[in-house]
Amino acid sequence: MKLIQKYKLTVNNWCIVQKKTAITALVPPELIFACNSEPFDVNNVIPGSKKYPRNKLCAWTAIWQEMLSKREIDIDSLIVVAGGDCHNALVDGQKVAMSGIPTHFFFYPFDGDPDYLESQLYKLSDFLGNVGSPEKPGQIRELKKLGQKIDKKRADGKISAGDAFRIMISFSDLMGNLDKFKEVISSTKERKIDLKNRVALIGVPPIFHDFHDVARALGLAVVFDELPFEFIRHSGNDIPGIARDYCNYTFARPLDFRIKFLQEELEKRKVDGIIHYTQFACHHMLEDEIMRSNLDYPMLTIQGDLPGNTPEQIKLRLEAFRELLERS
Amino acid sequence: MIGLDVGSTTAKKVSIEDGEIKYQIAGTHNWKDLITGIDGNDIISTGYFRKSIPHRASVTEITAAIYGVRHYFPDADVIVDIGGQDTKVIDVKKNNFIINDKCSAGTGAFLEFVANYFKIELKEMGSFHSRAKRIPAINNTCGVFALSEMISQLVAGYTQEEVIAGMHYAFARRISFMIPEAQKLVLIGGTVKNKGMLSALEDILQKEVLVPDEPQIVNALGALKYYC
Repeated sequence: MKLIQKYKLTVNNWCIVQKKTAITALVPPELIFACNSEPFDVNNVIPGSKKYPRNKLCAWTAIWQEMLSKREIDIDSLIVVAGGDCHNALVDGQKVAMSGIPTHFFFYPFDGDPDYLESQLYKLSDFLGNVGSPEKPGQIRELKKLGQKIDKKRADGKISAGDAFRIMISFSDLMGNLDKFKEVISSTKERKIDLKNRVALIGVPPIFHDFHDVARALGLAVVFDELPFEFIRHSGNDIPGIARDYCNYTFARPLDFRIKFLQEELEKRKVDGIIHYTQFACHHMLEDEIMRSNLDYPMLTIQGDLPGNTPEQIKLRLEAFRELLERS
Repeated sequence: MIGLDVGSTTAKKVSIEDGEIKYQIAGTHNWKDLITGIDGNDIISTGYFRKSIPHRASVTEITAAIYGVRHYFPDADVIVDIGGQDTKVIDVKKNNFIINDKCSAGTGAFLEFVANYFKIELKEMGSFHSRAKRIPAINNTCGVFALSEMISQLVAGYTQEEVIAGMHYAFARRISFMIPEAQKLVLIGGTVKNKGMLSALEDILQKEVLVPDEPQIVNALGALKYYC
């Protein structure tokens, strides 16, 4: 939450000159910045929020829907990732649109067709007012290289999982300010981290703001975060380049594509086990048995619902999972 | 040295004296009575409150169950621990576990609601079940709604015994969804003392279920065995 608080400080200076565009999941920030808009990932405010949404399936989408519809987040427009990731967002995004916020629906191709994604990116560019700062994607590419270094240092035990996660998850919107974000990345402190019980965290990110720190305190070293890794993995200098790279965004692709990618990545990181985080009422819950049968590691499945601290029941599972890994 | 399991409903103390297992069970609110005169350094704790009570070492109920069951059935491959507020299924061979704690329909609390409704003791549920001539279908997967369904069945003419048997089947069906294929399936936890629930589960799974002599103290024993 520290990052978000810092982010809020910068927003006050920036919203005068730049339009602020909310995003509901990964939308190439390269294009949003290039169109002179400032991305704001609405998910970043949720783990620290105290909201109890009135009408919900998944708390992630329900909370941003309510906050945007009630204008509790100050934005100019919204991009809903409606195809290839979160299906609840398609409905909750329409609720926000009906409340009067200019809203664009963005679809990733299930089959990874770069031409389709390119056409989607051109439509998005029209919605945002077209490219005005073509140098921004190149600057973001450089920042993503720094993000990849953070990820590697974490896997090598030089940066804590919590610190690495907070940086990597912020790559979806780069805090809306490239210079400020670069400063935040540079300020990450290195320290020696015990990497006993190396685990991969797959699925959507946990809705609990302290999850990585709790896992570490309970003796589990998270060395891979599936979704945040996607945030630092893709880039591109122009629309065709962005389309060619982002068409392999694993969350939007068929499960066999995602599983093959995970198998390779987990092998590289020498993980001992997997934590599969699932969100209550999210379609990703249905993937659990497929993940279990295709990923040959001890696996713990946990489920979250509302935001806040990591609940005691989840801590019990984490502790038991650590005991299990130590017995393996 | 003792194993102390302080769970959501009861507290269990186990010690091994001259090779013989000695135990005591109390309500959770009376857990302190079990350790009068015992130094915290001589306690290996487990259960939901394992970290809130004095202990030399603590271990989760999942690991404790594996060590405890091993004492009675060394080749058990699946353990089902039906606690007051959650149910844990441990696949010992695959080193895997799942816990149901979001819904009361698969926990001991569910059968406690039923016993409270009929103003009978939990331990009487089994004999009520054995007297049932028919088993009404209780289809609801939600504990609270299953209770309203139970009342509808009473109004429809089923006897108290039959409705209790129906609730045992509803409970056992819920648990059965969590249980993987097993050669030797062992059930532990206080709820397992209910013979009606046990026979419903055996009927649904079409398989014999193994139960230690005193299923409620297995985790306290396991905590002790884990450490010693």
